[in-house]
Amino acid sequence: MRDLVAAEWRKIWTGRAWWALGLSAALLCVLADAGYLTQALDQLPKGTTTEADLTSTLVQGWFMVELVAALATMLAVTREFSTGAICRTALLGGGRGRVLTAKLVAAAGTGVVYALAAGAAAAASPWLFLAGRAWHPQWTMTTTWTLLGVMLVILVGALWGSLLGIVIRQQVVAIVVLLLSTWLVSEGLLRLAPKIGRFTIDEAMAAVYRSGNDGVLPIPWALVVLAAWIAVAGVAGRTLFLRRDLP
Amino acid sequence: MTDVVDIEGLTKRYGEVTAVEDVSFQVRPGRVVGLLGRNGAGKTTTLRMLLGLARPTAGRATVFGHPYAQLPRAAHRVGVGMDGIGPSNAATGRGDLNIWARTLGLGRSRVEQVLERVGLADDAHRKLRGFSTGMRQRHALATALLADPELLILDEPANGLDPDGIRWLRRFLRSLADEGRTVLLSSHLLAEVEQTADDIVILQRTLRYSGTVADLTRNGTVSLESSFFELVGPAAKEPSHA
Repeated sequence: MRDLVAAEWRKIWTGRAWWALGLSAALLCVLADAGYLTQALDQLPKGTTTEADLTSTLVQGWFMVELVAALATMLAVTREFSTGAICRTALLGGGRGRVLTAKLVAAAGTGVVYALAAGAAAAASPWLFLAGRAWHPQWTMTTTWTLLGVMLVILVGALWGSLLGIVIRQQVVAIVVLLLSTWLVSEGLLRLAPKIGRFTIDEAMAAVYRSGNDGVLPIPWALVVLAAWIAVAGVAGRTLFLRRDLP
Repeated sequence: MTDVVDIEGLTKRYGEVTAVEDVSFQVRPGRVVGLLGRNGAGKTTTLRMLLGLARPTAGRATVFGHPYAQLPRAAHRVGVGMDGIGPSNAATGRGDLNIWARTLGLGRSRVEQVLERVGLADDAHRKLRGFSTGMRQRHALATALLADPELLILDEPANGLDPDGIRWLRRFLRSLADEGRTVLLSSHLLAEVEQTADDIVILQRTLRYSGTVADLTRNGTVSLESSFFELVGPAAKEPSHA
């Protein structure tokens, strides 16, 4: 099993996708933090926000790495389906069940790498963005929980991306589903039908990284919802991967 | 002696379309067996069902007495080169083989051995995207040979090869059989299979022939081509030529 996981790991980290996505994510997060900072620099003198709030917000801005972690693991899986390499993986991997487990372990490991990198960048960002300014970072317990929340959703995102890839198989369709569900469906549902919208995986993630969105679930319930989404996707992925013909 | 491959009443339907119907044949150890048929005759589908990549609608297929998924150390006993199975995400030939070797728990030295054997050692640093068709076929063979398998299942291994490549492949397959390995290869290159195979299986959705080349060609008095067309019948539509 160790060799199989190592091979899956190598597949994810071979090629340009992982660093291209990582670089894009870093750029997006820096841009988002720069926007938060500009807003906060207006609000701080008026007292409508505090240094502690700004510190947490700058840390929270790195939640976007979740999308990148999901895309990286999703691309690794769907690329195999599109090239037919998944057949060789199944033939050499000692059974589809083992292959699925190895893929999920490698996806989780990828999530951990992205989470650690994003966590380090997020923790450093208040000091970097406020360097040379009159305001100073104030790290609070809320900031710590925000950071942990950001890191957790990145890990969940990596698993979610891999499972969506296994269920959907088609690369373009999988990416469209991920992006639409993240940017349109969850937000839209939260606004139009908040009682339903807050149970989407993206809004549950938003609750965990303390997005401040109105109507999201309390964090313990959000964690349960995240676990439920991963469990449902895991069952669906396993059932389809074990039963459906491979391309 | 147990048959290496045993296929019994294998059928595959995709909705209304029947790709393979009630096919039965066996492959004996140490033989080179050619699986012949027109395009769309069901050769690849049969091999995919044998390997557990596609689920049969009816019937059963076993390798060394077990369905592939239940065969102990299946990946080490059966080497596969299938049309449509692409490389991993690795950029180079050597990188791709290293990934598959790792999957099998093999070291890099084995990768160098198979590269040497298929004549790709000097080109393995090149990007897979830049490989010629012949190099791709050799690369697929190298992947199939990684685990030093007893049975090789090759789907259209001669496709796209030039005359030199075809001659190389013929000798290569013969050398594998001389080592005691069993080779099951699908092809629609009749003359090629006639020179390479000991046994022939002809499919045209249903089984049309399973036996030795000698019996089919009446010890060389009729060509494999005539026998083939006699068994599969005329094409549904004659191809047009410019």
